[in-house]
Amino acid sequence: MPAAVFELANVSYRYNSVVALDDVSLSIERGKRVALLGANGSGKSTLLRLLDALYFPDSGMISFAGQSLQESRFDDVEFAFDFRRRVGLVFQNPDVQLFSPTVFDEVAFAPLQLRWTRDEIVCRVNQALDLMEIRHLKDRPPHQLSGGEKKRVALASVLVLDPEVLLLDEPTAALDPKSQSQIIDLLIGWGDGRKTVVTATHDLGLVEDIADYCFVLQSGKIAAHGEPSELLRDQTLLERANLIHAHRHRHESGKVHSHPHTHPHRHE
Amino acid sequence: MHIPDGYLSPATCIALYAGSAPFWYTALQRMKRALHTQVVPLLSVFAAFSFIIMMFNLPLPGGTTGHAVGVGIAAVALGPWGAVLAISIALAIQAVLFGDGGITAIGANCFNMAVVGSLVAYAAYRAISGRAPIESPRRVIAAACAGYLSINVAALFAAVELGIQPLLYHDALGAPLYAPYPLRIAIPAMMIGHLSVAGIAEMVVSAGVVRYLQKTEPFLLRATAPGAVPGLANAEPNQAAHASGWRATKRLWLALAVLLILTPLGILAVGSAWGEWSPDDFSNPDTRAQIATASRNQAPPAQAPRGLQRLATFWTAPIPRYAPGFLKSASFGYALSAIAGAGLIILAVVLTGWLSQRLPQRKGRGRRQTSFVERTIATLKAASEYSAAADEMSRSGGVLQRVDPRVKVVGLLGMVAVVAASHRLPVIGGMFAAALGLAIVSRVEAGRLARLVWIPVAFFTGTIALPAVFLTPGRALFVFGGIEITAQGLRSAAFLVSRAETAATLSALLVLTTPWPWVLKALRIFKCPMAMVAILGMTYRYIFVILQTAFDMFESRKSRTVGVLEPRERRRLAASAAGVLMSKSFQLSGDVHLAMKSRGFRGEVHVLQEFRAGVADWCWLAAFVFSAMAALWLGR
Repeated sequence: MPAAVFELANVSYRYNSVVALDDVSLSIERGKRVALLGANGSGKSTLLRLLDALYFPDSGMISFAGQSLQESRFDDVEFAFDFRRRVGLVFQNPDVQLFSPTVFDEVAFAPLQLRWTRDEIVCRVNQALDLMEIRHLKDRPPHQLSGGEKKRVALASVLVLDPEVLLLDEPTAALDPKSQSQIIDLLIGWGDGRKTVVTATHDLGLVEDIADYCFVLQSGKIAAHGEPSELLRDQTLLERANLIHAHRHRHESGKVHSHPHTHPHRHE
Repeated sequence: MHIPDGYLSPATCIALYAGSAPFWYTALQRMKRALHTQVVPLLSVFAAFSFIIMMFNLPLPGGTTGHAVGVGIAAVALGPWGAVLAISIALAIQAVLFGDGGITAIGANCFNMAVVGSLVAYAAYRAISGRAPIESPRRVIAAACAGYLSINVAALFAAVELGIQPLLYHDALGAPLYAPYPLRIAIPAMMIGHLSVAGIAEMVVSAGVVRYLQKTEPFLLRATAPGAVPGLANAEPNQAAHASGWRATKRLWLALAVLLILTPLGILAVGSAWGEWSPDDFSNPDTRAQIATASRNQAPPAQAPRGLQRLATFWTAPIPRYAPGFLKSASFGYALSAIAGAGLIILAVVLTGWLSQRLPQRKGRGRRQTSFVERTIATLKAASEYSAAADEMSRSGGVLQRVDPRVKVVGLLGMVAVVAASHRLPVIGGMFAAALGLAIVSRVEAGRLARLVWIPVAFFTGTIALPAVFLTPGRALFVFGGIEITAQGLRSAAFLVSRAETAATLSALLVLTTPWPWVLKALRIFKCPMAMVAILGMTYRYIFVILQTAFDMFESRKSRTVGVLEPRERRRLAASAAGVLMSKSFQLSGDVHLAMKSRGFRGEVHVLQEFRAGVADWCWLAAFVFSAMAALWLGR
């Protein structure tokens, strides 16, 4: 079995005329936790959608577990179901992902599409609800939930398939600090190191918690890659990729100065 | 244009359900073929958009408000079949959940607005836009015409359906049993409001949104553009092929369009018609003779009935400021009744909507000068609060809450049908008492029912039934200084009000004791196609997402504007808000489709069946069936 889950070779993708990804090559190893770092519009979400075979590259090749991902291959039900079961994507906006009338239906959506048996579905859905600690919300309509609860439902709706690869788009965006840390704790606890997790984020504070390896994206290209600890030390790189900003502040002496600023550690 | 329960006879309702059915069937068949595309979420989001657009209150002359339907733009973006489904779904949700339009009249309302509206809009759009490029201004004009035409033709259909009721259904003495106004009143009454304001609103929405889409999402216009591959694929238009069939009939369509616009005007131009006499007509010898001839040679009273006089001036109060010269013309009487009717219908619709949305949280009572922007915000907000309250109640442990939703859907809707068919007041009263009993054991407070159902329905049907009390000929019961209240008049008014109240209470019980998702699931026993149920569910869900977006947009605009906006500014604001909302809706539907695909969606919807009917549920079903049969027998 190949060590790389995903292998991208010279992948480009454009929306109409706007280039979203430009000649990207990278490989993601099995069991690794990988972060895709980049500012808004750097191509992170596009890359995730390509990895989930929702979009297909205009040029270049993507392969999953040694098999190339081409649009025509998804006409084959066996292949499509196998891929969808093994790879799950959690969208940034939970409203996009929660389209079912109740939380239970939402979590049951994917297993139903994959034609699991009824008893298995009920059992697995309940497990996923327990994992995300949302069993009490089972019969509620998703639109009435809080932001944090919606995110948990969105996660449960993907984790119910127990995928090998979990793709996360800004998992903590627009969440309050407490919900953020709960989601991160859940993700750290999930999979005990056997699963591949790819997280797109611009929150550098998360990186060391959720990733063993990072790719920095800038205008659709890979600007750098490496271990989080090295990358986070490279201030020029981070500033160029719009991931950090100059922090301007006034000291007691009255002197105003500015220096590059990150939020590398979170204190609870 | 939302016909409520009790205005159409059961036979008309059934006929119109039957009339809509083949279109629904065809639309679903067409949709099935396109299911693997973005169609499912697009339809859902579009239905939600139409639902919301019907809540955008636009200012009308005279201080009331009206709304567009969104059928024009739906037909342009989704094609006729997609639009039929999208608008039908919006209407069904409005009727079942928000009491806007009757349950028995869903068939009628869907036929008028969804079926007729979509087909007319699509035909007009295709005929006028021709082979013009996607970015052409001609497409904007075509969409404007499509919107204007479709809403007016839909209104005409509604008017005809209402207008034939007194003709076909009246008691032995001629007192109307259902909608009281004959064609000659109903048509101008409906058409004036729609030709003048609601039509313009629809026109602005259609044109504005198409203009917006041309700039931002041109590919969405390709589906219905000539030469483009059918379906919603992102295909390049093939200019050379196709279009010859349409071209040949273009003139025909245009002529038909012009005729359609002129028809109601033609009717309006006919002189004084039966039942629409001005107070002056009663003292003029010429017109007196005409009235007598038209009324089977019965001479009219020597003086105009004072009640008619008073009611006529009461209804038209806002209008004289608008067209004083017009009212002095020869067709004074006709115009008066027409405008009065239009005013009454619009006023009643607006007030019912306003009352039902506002009453649960009436705060700013002293403030009359709220702009329509604020009113729209309030409506949007109240809608989501209403649903939250309903959801909460449906989860409390009353008796009906424990009954299998399928049994409830069949039982309560069956009772509604029986009420509509019943010809005896005591039977309707008994059904009402039964509904009350069910409400009590289900812990639905009378106060809430009164706020949500009884008061708005009484107000709405009351305003329509009131003239019948005075104007129905028959044995006089009371006489107050020249105004006669007849037994027949009272009887028909009582029928109208009691039927509407009982039907509305029963439907409210269903919705208040059953979480909406379960109502949807229960629909499956009626062999509703899976895809349809899924779309209904998603529509309901996205109504709230778009509601929130609309709400936020209006709030942020409001926070950035100082002082009072010019009416023109306000209209521009509403139009641009509709455009942005549409664009956001489309984007949402694209992303939703990806999210579905990501979890294995391949065009077929699979749903989990969870209900298990127990002995108690079977007993309830038996009880419902028994009481419905009994009521049917007693009320025949």
